[in-house]
Amino acid sequence: MIDKFLLAYRSIREKRTRSILTVLGIAVGIAAIVSLMSVGYGMEEAITGELMGMADMISVMPGKITGHTYVELGSFTDRDVKDVQRISGIKDITAMTYDAAEVKYRNKRAPVFIIGGDTKELGSFYVEPVGIKEGRWLRENDFKGCVIGHRVANDFFDDIIHVNDKLIINGDKFIVVGVFEKASTLYASDVDPFIFLTLHASKEALQTDEVKYIMVRVYDIDEAEEIAEEIKEVINDNHGLDDFAIAMTMGSMIEQIGTVFNIIRGVLVGIAAIALVVASIGIMNTMLMSVMERTHEIGVMKAIGAKSSDVLSLFLIESSMVSLVGGVVGCVLGAVAAKVISLSAGTALGIEFGAVVKPEVLLGGMAVAMVVGVLSGFYPARKASRMSPVEAVRYE
Amino acid sequence: MIRTENLTKVYQMGDAEVYALHDVNLDIQDGEFIAIIGPSGSGKSTLLNLIGCLDKPTSGAVFIDGINTGKLNENGLAEIRRRKIGFIFQQFNLVHTLNALENVALPMFFAGVKRETRLKRAEELLAKVGLGDRIYHKPSEMSGGQQQRVAIARALSNDPEVVIGDEPTGNVDTETGNTIMGLLEGLNKEGRTIIVVTHDAEIAARAGRTKRMRDGKVLD
Repeated sequence: MIDKFLLAYRSIREKRTRSILTVLGIAVGIAAIVSLMSVGYGMEEAITGELMGMADMISVMPGKITGHTYVELGSFTDRDVKDVQRISGIKDITAMTYDAAEVKYRNKRAPVFIIGGDTKELGSFYVEPVGIKEGRWLRENDFKGCVIGHRVANDFFDDIIHVNDKLIINGDKFIVVGVFEKASTLYASDVDPFIFLTLHASKEALQTDEVKYIMVRVYDIDEAEEIAEEIKEVINDNHGLDDFAIAMTMGSMIEQIGTVFNIIRGVLVGIAAIALVVASIGIMNTMLMSVMERTHEIGVMKAIGAKSSDVLSLFLIESSMVSLVGGVVGCVLGAVAAKVISLSAGTALGIEFGAVVKPEVLLGGMAVAMVVGVLSGFYPARKASRMSPVEAVRYE
Repeated sequence: MIRTENLTKVYQMGDAEVYALHDVNLDIQDGEFIAIIGPSGSGKSTLLNLIGCLDKPTSGAVFIDGINTGKLNENGLAEIRRRKIGFIFQQFNLVHTLNALENVALPMFFAGVKRETRLKRAEELLAKVGLGDRIYHKPSEMSGGQQQRVAIARALSNDPEVVIGDEPTGNVDTETGNTIMGLLEGLNKEGRTIIVVTHDAEIAARAGRTKRMRDGKVLD
């Protein structure tokens, strides 16, 4: 057996260029599968991972979602907030108000959304996961202080805004006391384009007493759905309407994202499968060429006593050796490519995620390489083994 | 003993049937040195291929030690080629990826002989044909005569009773041809049956018996 491997190795080495090309053909197919799947898993894990961190949250909004649009139906009252607070199992509750305001920095004016809320509670929702880049978070007595999101600081105005710069919000002067870090994918739309004020200051600046958003944290994630239902009922009762409020748990969002990712991964695997089909045709072509070229040698081997099964196993060993190497190279290339893709895609799309190279994907890639290699080697190998010795010897 | 019985081989060339061999009856005794001589196209190589179990007859039969080779399957024929017959080709037909030693050991490999045993025997056989100092050379690093001597050593590898040479001196110069004929004569003295096809009368003259062929028939 060892000798057959040696013999196969000799002929692979003899046709070095062609063997390398075949190995590359398999490797590219496998690399495509491995890298695309790893990137898919990476994206999924980056997003669900962050969501899991927020799994204990329930967002409560006064309105309804029809299709993909949120329609605001009004606002919550102080009584709503108090009633929700009374529900058992709730750890934290933040009532927030928000609205667009005209903001002026130096000579440029821009409309920016203002969020106001209890500073301690608001902080517990945003400061820890996003982080403050410059300055500090709001204090309860910061009546004229504000903290701004990354895009407000860098993109909205002509000049970059730093701590201690002055902003005019709806005619009132505010001093920037802190600037957020650039938020990760999940928080980006919640933090980056906003200005945060204390509840008191926001009521003044926005000229409103309305609560437009309530965020709730629960003690036990398993109870989240139940509590969400209860919140909805309590608020709907207060307003005498059937569907005045929506209360969404993060869990339900994670589920939705999961299905989306299954679809994405399916598409990625489909593309990789095409690459693999192309690669297998390449392998089969190479093996056929190799058999044709060595017809004479096959004839000689049979003339000196080789059985058909000897010839068959020699060629099969040869093609599995080539596919094994191709599979290994493909897995390595795929893992490297996945890292590069996730890095550059992350930079291009402004999201941060690392490719997740799962061992089962690597094993699967190896298995696919072997199966493809052996199957596409089988037809030429059988053809070789069935040649009549005298015709094969005559073939030059 | 080798015996052919009404051995016929027909090739289909378009609509025409070409008789490469036509009712050939030939007896070859054990230990005989026989030369088959004839112009090209006379069917001598076809006869040799049939005797050597490389090809199957259209009709008639080849008996080797009483076995009707036409009744054997693929593996049975491979077995005969491996155990009973050593083939020497005009073109040497060595495996060019292997060195001399490995080429000689190859038939033993197919016969399932252990690695140490076959390498030792291959070395002895190469020494016997005078190539003891070139065992690690590849065919491309050897002259035609040297390659043919490797081929003879290879033919002897499974210690066959019959050695068949299809124009074994056809691709080498006269002096080398003499050396090779000398080797074959030596093998004949060991008791092996030697069957050689040639169109060189001088070579044929060194055989114990000569048969002439023309148009697919053996002449008396």
